[in-house]
Amino acid sequence: MLAIRDLTKTYSSGVQALRGVSLDLSPGVFGLLGPNGSGKTTLMKIVATLLEPDSGTIEMNGVDLIARKDHTRRMLGYLPQDFGLYPTLTAWQMLDYLAKLKGVTNKKERHNLIDALLDRVNLSAERSQRLGGFSGGMRQRLGIAQALIGEPQLIIVDEPTAGLDPEERVRFHNLISESAGEDTVVILSTHIVSDVSNLCSRMAIIRGGKILSACSPRQAVDELKTTVWEGTVPREQLAAFKAQFNVISSRNFDGEARVRVISKDLRPSEEFTGAIPVLEDYYFDLVNRQD
Amino acid sequence: MKNPFHTPFAAVLTNEVLLNTKRVAPYALMVLFAANAVLWWARGPAVAMGWATNSDFYIQRNMGGFSFILGLPIFTAILMGDIVVRDFRLGVDPLIFSKPVSRASYLLGKFLGNFFVLVCCQSVFAITLFLLQWVPFSGMVVLPVRVVPYFKHFFMIVVISHLALAAIYFAAGTLSRSAKVVYGLAACYYPVYISLLLLVFMNLPKMFRVLFDPMGAGKSGPVITIDPWRESADVLNKFVVSYSLDQYVNRASNIVLSSLLLLIVYFRFRIDSQAKELLNFTTLTLSEAPGRIAYSAPFALLIDAAPARDLVTLPKVTATKGPAATLSRIIAAIGVEFRLRRAERGLMVLVPLAILLSFLSVPFSQIPTVVSYSVTSATNTANMLLLLLAGVTVFYTGEIMHRDRELKIEPVVWSTPAPNSVLLLSKWFAMTLLGLSVVCVGGLTTIVTQLLRGYTPVDISAYLIINGVVVVPGIMFITALAVGLNVLLRNKYLTYVVAVGTGAGLIYLYNLGYKHWSYNPLLYQLWKYPDLTSAPMLAYRFYCLALAAACLLLAHLLFERRS
Repeated sequence: MLAIRDLTKTYSSGVQALRGVSLDLSPGVFGLLGPNGSGKTTLMKIVATLLEPDSGTIEMNGVDLIARKDHTRRMLGYLPQDFGLYPTLTAWQMLDYLAKLKGVTNKKERHNLIDALLDRVNLSAERSQRLGGFSGGMRQRLGIAQALIGEPQLIIVDEPTAGLDPEERVRFHNLISESAGEDTVVILSTHIVSDVSNLCSRMAIIRGGKILSACSPRQAVDELKTTVWEGTVPREQLAAFKAQFNVISSRNFDGEARVRVISKDLRPSEEFTGAIPVLEDYYFDLVNRQD
Repeated sequence: MKNPFHTPFAAVLTNEVLLNTKRVAPYALMVLFAANAVLWWARGPAVAMGWATNSDFYIQRNMGGFSFILGLPIFTAILMGDIVVRDFRLGVDPLIFSKPVSRASYLLGKFLGNFFVLVCCQSVFAITLFLLQWVPFSGMVVLPVRVVPYFKHFFMIVVISHLALAAIYFAAGTLSRSAKVVYGLAACYYPVYISLLLLVFMNLPKMFRVLFDPMGAGKSGPVITIDPWRESADVLNKFVVSYSLDQYVNRASNIVLSSLLLLIVYFRFRIDSQAKELLNFTTLTLSEAPGRIAYSAPFALLIDAAPARDLVTLPKVTATKGPAATLSRIIAAIGVEFRLRRAERGLMVLVPLAILLSFLSVPFSQIPTVVSYSVTSATNTANMLLLLLAGVTVFYTGEIMHRDRELKIEPVVWSTPAPNSVLLLSKWFAMTLLGLSVVCVGGLTTIVTQLLRGYTPVDISAYLIINGVVVVPGIMFITALAVGLNVLLRNKYLTYVVAVGTGAGLIYLYNLGYKHWSYNPLLYQLWKYPDLTSAPMLAYRFYCLALAAACLLLAHLLFERRS
């Protein structure tokens, strides 16, 4: 169990990135959902021991992760949002190097592990290819492979699917779901709602450095049952409609505005029909309420 | 009518100038050229020979020397080589070529923008000389202030000569899309040009030199118009330089040659990216992953456990701790450092340079030596290599200390349980080993040269003692100091400035006679071969190594994993 308590962080520029973040994470894939600049990466970096918080604690199974950095790094697998690789090394050489840094000194074990990792991320055929020639998806897969070295109990993946094509995204989702073992906490930070809905058993929504909500995607959607309506509104009436109802999304369609509305007690009009709620609805409803 | 300042050509040109204002190289070149001008003004032959430092002849002579001798043809490659390559490397090319910019506007804007910056840098030399007319010192002959000769000779000799060179480098870089090709050309410039002069032009009719000699060096070119050693100072000071028809033809041919090269670039240039590796990507076997996750029903979705045939079980591994694991990590990190170093082009220059300098360190004639030829040769080589390696070490250490950040691999490496000592010591070891390898290469070259020249017997112990006592601890110290400075200052450019400034200041102090061993860890001008095995000398060396250890310790204490 990973427990984050009252974490705050203000950068020297004055930007308050985290404002008392508290979370409890159990084994499985935990989604941290938030827009760009919401504090996700700051939180990930602090958990990954790469940034010092101003205050607050992080404990995993009773171990203080902030105070015991070396211990944390032994049980950590980290895939940063924006990471590089040595372009002149091969995939195999890169993993070999990082495995040694992780303390896997037994040569036979290490070689077997690297072979298995490359196999798992479907890069066995590219094992001798220089990393400078890797595509974005291949780099991300190698990134997750290095995060899996040494049976980590805590895996942090920060915006892993940004910029990937749909096929690579699905492949990456599978890799993450395969990596979440019984005792492993995987924190998936993302601004893509479908990443969370597809992968995570629990999630939190973060915005402006604060946790707005922490629940399961199922609970989030259940909260909106029978409250989401969809219909069209003449474009010139959209502003007035928005003032009256909680519009969570609108898009122009055939000269009219097609809107999704959350309304608990009242059907907006006869033209509106009930819609199946999705996680995006929950997310936008929450954000609208904050605004 | 279209405003010429609002054309795509003007946009490309001004953007190139803007980009260059944000680079370090142009400013570094300006400082270097200004320093050159001061040096030539104060220490050139004019003062000793009674030549006026602002005579027409001397101005022309300085411009010729500046244009050819002190590496300017190589510096030209730095500014002109990777102009177009940079756009492709940074991935800006699709943004540019998707705009209505013609190839001619793009290429000419790029070329002229950078050539303008190059000329601005070069002009610092002429402007400095021009301004120095007002600050003569005792014994220097200075004629009344003059303006036109500076700019006339600068344009005729420096600008036009380097127009052709710039066009050659630009064409090579743009068409090959490789900066390495340009730097290779620049490295070959002197041997190729001198060979061309001596072996080809000398044996051809004069017209060939007039038409095809880009630098115009020698008597057919504009550089040497009068032989100063046969004329009196009075004659030279009154001499008015006028260019002959041949010289004008030579300059004009340079401009025509440059235009032709640009025309070739225009016709041969392609905007498509040369993605050689793409074919390999298409052979990648895609997994059947899409079948296992459904996007359409996100909340009813349960991600099935992957089928057994797909799921690769990772084997159990044991992570070790303690000194053995740390040693293993250091060795692994050194291995990576060497692999990365091997791929750099710097070594292609460093090793031949060390060989050349070592070759030149052996006396060319049977001059009387203090102890033996081996001692003299080894001493020369040691002094020269120590100076070379001091500069190389500071530069390379800065590069490797900040490389992980530049490659964005820092968070990956820093999140591993490798101690800070591994990250720092591996870089120190790798750099020290590189320095020692260069010393070995230099030493072997000196020995072989000594044998080839017949200066036998070769005293191997002299080489071992001099390198072991003077050079090796010196390299260890410089590397440790560079590591410490990079950790402390956190910026490689700042480190370069501090290191070069401190080095220059110390050498100045040493030359003034202040060279006590306590602030002279490299023992500059403080050692003689017979003293090298004495107890005080060994104590000095331990002091040097202790300073190195202190620098590493300081680096270890100050090193922070903060992204």
